[in-house]
Amino acid sequence: MRRSLLILYVSLPLLLLSGCGFSLSADRHDAERLLLIQTMGLDSDGDRVRMSVSTGLGPDDKPALVMSARGGGIEDAIANLQDLSPENQLFYAHVQYLLLGQEAARTMLNDVIQWVDRSPTLRMDTDMLIVKGLAADAVVDTSDENTDVTARLASLDRQASSTGWTIYTLREIAAELSQGDGALCLAVETAKAENAVFTEDMQSDAIVPAGYAALGRDGLVAFLTPEQSMGAELLTGDPTGLLINVADSTMEVLDGSARIDGTLSPDGRPEAISVQCTLRTGVLEKLRRDSRLSPEQLDAALSETVAGWVTDCVETAQKTGCDFLGLKNAVLRSSKTLDRWGEDWNELLPTLSVTVSVEARVDRSYDLAE
Amino acid sequence: MDDTRMTRKQFAAAILVSLLSPLLRLLPQTAVSLTGRGAWLSALPALVPPLVLGAILASFQRYMRPGEGMGGLLLRWLGPVIGRAVLAVYAAWFLFYGGFILRSGAERLVSTIYPSSGQNLFVVATIFLCLTVALGQLGAAARTAVLMRAVLIGALAVVLILSAPNMDPDRLSPLGWNDTGHILLGALPLASVVTVAGAFSFLSGYVQPPKDRRWLLGTMFLLTVLGAAICAAVVCVFGPELTSTLTYPFFIMIRSISLGDMVPRIEAVVITAWVGADFLLCTMLLRCAHEAIRTIFHLPVPDRFPMGSLRGGRWLLWLEAAAVFGCSLFFDLPPWQLRQWSDWYIPLASDIVLFGGFALLWLVTIPKRKKDPVCTENGGSQ
Repeated sequence: MRRSLLILYVSLPLLLLSGCGFSLSADRHDAERLLLIQTMGLDSDGDRVRMSVSTGLGPDDKPALVMSARGGGIEDAIANLQDLSPENQLFYAHVQYLLLGQEAARTMLNDVIQWVDRSPTLRMDTDMLIVKGLAADAVVDTSDENTDVTARLASLDRQASSTGWTIYTLREIAAELSQGDGALCLAVETAKAENAVFTEDMQSDAIVPAGYAALGRDGLVAFLTPEQSMGAELLTGDPTGLLINVADSTMEVLDGSARIDGTLSPDGRPEAISVQCTLRTGVLEKLRRDSRLSPEQLDAALSETVAGWVTDCVETAQKTGCDFLGLKNAVLRSSKTLDRWGEDWNELLPTLSVTVSVEARVDRSYDLAE
Repeated sequence: MDDTRMTRKQFAAAILVSLLSPLLRLLPQTAVSLTGRGAWLSALPALVPPLVLGAILASFQRYMRPGEGMGGLLLRWLGPVIGRAVLAVYAAWFLFYGGFILRSGAERLVSTIYPSSGQNLFVVATIFLCLTVALGQLGAAARTAVLMRAVLIGALAVVLILSAPNMDPDRLSPLGWNDTGHILLGALPLASVVTVAGAFSFLSGYVQPPKDRRWLLGTMFLLTVLGAAICAAVVCVFGPELTSTLTYPFFIMIRSISLGDMVPRIEAVVITAWVGADFLLCTMLLRCAHEAIRTIFHLPVPDRFPMGSLRGGRWLLWLEAAAVFGCSLFFDLPPWQLRQWSDWYIPLASDIVLFGGFALLWLVTIPKRKKDPVCTENGGSQ
């Protein structure tokens, strides 16, 4: 009798607090009614927010469910989205990609970070991308019967890891923003691939990388050009796989690194930043068969070109006053005089002179000297 | 073996598991917001107050008679009036602190996993479980703690290992000499957590001899190392600035962990497992409070009676559980106010009562210690 009572006593909380079926918890979810959202797009539309979502392709290639709704805030837009699908519960615990339209990136980046922090379902490690234009277009216009935005972003993700671009997570961006006043985020745009030959059932737009977006503490500061983006990748990330066109040759970056140092003036004041990059590339293709550059000339051309990109990139950081390259932390780590560099960085950054040197080496150059 | 008593290892497990609750409440966010990237180094200075408290407790323990806890010793040394008053203060603090632990645990569970649920559901369920265990034998609770220690430390290790790919050790640097002040300041929350171990001296009468002190120091050391590891891991993942602004950085870090495509999220299991630490701490505080009250009224040891019995003043345990629940209602505050209590008022009060209080009592009872014989392990005196 006592044992039966004990079993009943232990079982009751399991039955009532489990979150399934008959439950005291208001947070129970019926698995059959859940619509798992895999990609979210956020746009700022004046005072209103537009949220666009896609469930991803279902089992047996069932087309993705794509929806878009507006609201006074993010949660209001989510509530309005839920109204569009009354028979199912939209479930955000498995969101893989978060797209921010450029206006949303400009005005509500911090709101988004705080919203994800407070959300019990969303993850800080969700991949974040900024769309040149509207995120809604990227979510809606890239879906058709055969594919959807999640599949396209997954493909982009795979390509990015092999072509040198980095897709940053919201956590990485938030950490960089709070640590160094700036961060990078991969920008994308929707495009009708002009040179592609479409079959009839491939009618939706593609999503292609469009360099990096520079983010400041208050939001989007600037879109970097593809060349500046390559310079930024060399300074901040792992540039392996980047494709570079220099002197009629297409090269692939095999490895690269950068060292950033701060230099003090004789009276002990911060004066300059020196950036030393090393780069090793391999020739993939000669675009002009009559190209007559020697390997040494190609090394020099590559060094000069990349130095120009890096310089341009650092100057953009200085002009915008936004340390999206993490220069402050790089200098602090290499400097033994932390107290000289740590304060008033935003005022200091535009005044520093920058010297960039690139040591480049081109491999696979067997036939270039012919 | 006497089932009503605990071995030293079981008692150490009970302390360790109980203190994992405040450890993750105050760390890493509060420590990192005070210290920045050097929070993990705060573990070194944070060892000093617990070591001092450990020495004070060890000094008291030498004079405790067999089966006597801190309550009995204080009543003996301070006399019936002052002794009872001091014990009443400690009992009140344990009940108040227990109420806070209940509420903060429920708030954490609701805000991280069950956003649509009410906190009172979890508060009532937890206090009911705590009372059930407190009515049983303390040795059984300590044996449960041994199992929970394996689960929680295992979960912590899994979390740290699986979070490793997201860690960037560069975020722990640069550190310079000008960070020393911050590092010392950041030691306060960690030290506050570890000094809560002082409350358990009220239960030391239930520990089987020999009264070796190394286990207590070892537990304090392990807690400090765990605190440093948690701070370092979270700072490596989020950076110091973001860590200090996130709501529950450690649990947000867990949210990002996946075991491949098969188990994409594990945070519900880990966070719910942490309720075990709240539950055990609350149970132990309930028993600490009962020990103080039992000593005031010269009541028998509750473990000698059957679980359902109300004899020997065991009805007081029901009343004490009701008091803990009442205190938890006091903490039914907006989250920002609860955080203020959690970050500042409760650690400060805990330091004053447990560290300051015991230090003061140690000073006041110097004359007594000179007169009172030291008790040997077998109950004799020297």
